[in-house]
Amino acid sequence: MSDLRRDPIGGRWVIVDTDHPSKPEDFEYEQHILRGGVCPFCYGNESMTPPEIEVIRDPSTSPNTSGWQVRVVSNKFPALQIEGDLDRRGIGIYDMSNGVGAHEVLIETPYHEKDIPDLLNSEVENFLSMYCRRTQDLIKDKRFKYIMVFKNFGAAAGASLEHPHTQIIALPMVPKNVMEEIRGAHDYFDYRERCVFCDIIKQETQEKERIILENKYFLSFCPFVSRFAFEMWIMPKKHQGYFCQMSGEEVSALAAILKETIARLEKIFPHPSYNYIIHSSPINGEDSSEGYHWHIELMPKLTRVAGFEWGSGFYLVPTPPELAAKYLRG
Amino acid sequence: MPELRKDPIIGRWVIIATERAKRPDQFTAQTQAGPAEKPCPFCEGKESETPQEIYSVRQNNSAPNKPGWQLRVVPSHAPFLRIEGDLERRGRGLYDLMNGIGAHEIVIESNQHIGNMADLSEEQISRIMTCYIDRIKDLERDERFKYVLVFKNYGWTAGGGRMQHSRSQLIATPVNLKRVKEELVGARAYYQYHERCVFCDLVKQELEFKERVITDIDGFIAVSPFAARFPFEVWILPKKHSCDFTSLDISMRLDLGRILKKVLLKLKKGLNDPPYNYVLHTAPFRRAKIGYWKSIDYDYHWHIEIIPRLTRVAGFEWGTGFYICPLPPEDAAKFLREVEVG
Repeated sequence: MSDLRRDPIGGRWVIVDTDHPSKPEDFEYEQHILRGGVCPFCYGNESMTPPEIEVIRDPSTSPNTSGWQVRVVSNKFPALQIEGDLDRRGIGIYDMSNGVGAHEVLIETPYHEKDIPDLLNSEVENFLSMYCRRTQDLIKDKRFKYIMVFKNFGAAAGASLEHPHTQIIALPMVPKNVMEEIRGAHDYFDYRERCVFCDIIKQETQEKERIILENKYFLSFCPFVSRFAFEMWIMPKKHQGYFCQMSGEEVSALAAILKETIARLEKIFPHPSYNYIIHSSPINGEDSSEGYHWHIELMPKLTRVAGFEWGSGFYLVPTPPELAAKYLRG
Repeated sequence: MPELRKDPIIGRWVIIATERAKRPDQFTAQTQAGPAEKPCPFCEGKESETPQEIYSVRQNNSAPNKPGWQLRVVPSHAPFLRIEGDLERRGRGLYDLMNGIGAHEIVIESNQHIGNMADLSEEQISRIMTCYIDRIKDLERDERFKYVLVFKNYGWTAGGGRMQHSRSQLIATPVNLKRVKEELVGARAYYQYHERCVFCDLVKQELEFKERVITDIDGFIAVSPFAARFPFEVWILPKKHSCDFTSLDISMRLDLGRILKKVLLKLKKGLNDPPYNYVLHTAPFRRAKIGYWKSIDYDYHWHIEIIPRLTRVAGFEWGTGFYICPLPPEDAAKFLREVEVG
């Protein structure tokens, strides 16, 4: 018999197929194969992107030329625009706003063909610290209530360019699922005066069966209520509301665990496509760092999500997270 | 300038990225052949390859699980949830769980090997609607169930599997689904404030503005929703208020067959036979529970949501519930209005 499991934060139910769990070889996923072609994110093509906003580069080189390690530019096709005042209005029953916000692209590395496990720890550290710098800069704009940092890797995961990159979107409102997560975490905190994420870490550390990796500051594990096969979370052990509050030592520990977690995935599923999203507390008046605890959610794209999930918000998980973690531990 | 739009029912914001400006005809489906088809167990004459039928529409003199049918319902051979057993709820530390009790049925929509529902007749589609109603009513008698989700996955990338034989699925669940709950809560909140149904208001406004209406026939309209999440997302709503799909009368079932066929044909013809999903949104089983369902007859309104799978949905949209729609729904509606179908 399969399990129905309820997410302790958002209250979502999922079906976990413990009856006939899918093993890695059962997934017919689309591998991420490089197609090549001209890449606007490669050395020598800097003029093909909007000018850089922030960069880590060799001091002897000039802006918007080769010689950089991490480069942040505006999205050439931004979903939101930075100029203008927020203008909310209604038409009949509908509410809308102009699309004020920021949409940046962070080019993680000059190497077109290298995924995170192929980089040096220090290179991963570089782009993670750039996530923090950009976030801290965008927080200063009081119009923004939430900063979304996410990576789509591989065409199957929605990446339109194959060169490794992360997107940063600053929004004038808090997205729906984030709001739900925050409300859920708050309710838990009000009731127990403890952070639900801290409690999750405690229980996972005790039960051990869903843990993939652990270091001094972080835990990576398959969540008890996964929505996707081989879903993985990376969470700081210490309570911390904001991603960008990490110390240098923590950034370096995160780089190590992120790199190794994805390496474990690639060992089981060669050339995977995946997404990860940094879940962090909202900002500028919507803050809630007491009951909230930042973390990274990583979702490999192994199955085709179907009508059931769209319509119900209820997920079918073909591999129990306990089994997925066992494979990932190796 | 791109626009941020809010769904009036559940309050989800989406970005309508007007300036990415791909023209509507640039979204057409690329042929994404899945793995080769296996021999089809759903065709007439292959009845012994499926589990025993639960329901069928068949010629008077034909025997169950034999040829001579127009429509069959069978249990899934790989069910997500199982019908046998008692519901057991338990906790484990801070986690809650229960055993996977439920029902999972497959509606085989035609005795012929036709892939897309768009190619079935209006009468056959209306027969499928009657089948949904009969099955939902039957499952309602099982006290363990709270909701029956009715949905269709067409095409490989929409989760339709290897067999291109038109079918849909019913899943009865012992818990209320998150998405359904959100919609019910949103609709009730609107009703409490306005004393009107938000969907009735939506129908009225769309009929008045016309720019998002795809087609308007008989008792139904098909619209591109104001805060669409996906390019060419389509909602079909009855114009007359009703919270419960199973209360649909015979003549309305025929009307629904007509509009559904028309919309599916427009998608097929205009967008190169794209994979799609559709989901029926209807009221949950209203069992006696004090203080519950007081206004649902007035505040909720059943409808069908159709999602063609033309773009890859990035994981961040799942993770945040925040969608970027690359095509304004007004443009999608105009394009679909102009696709001529018989």
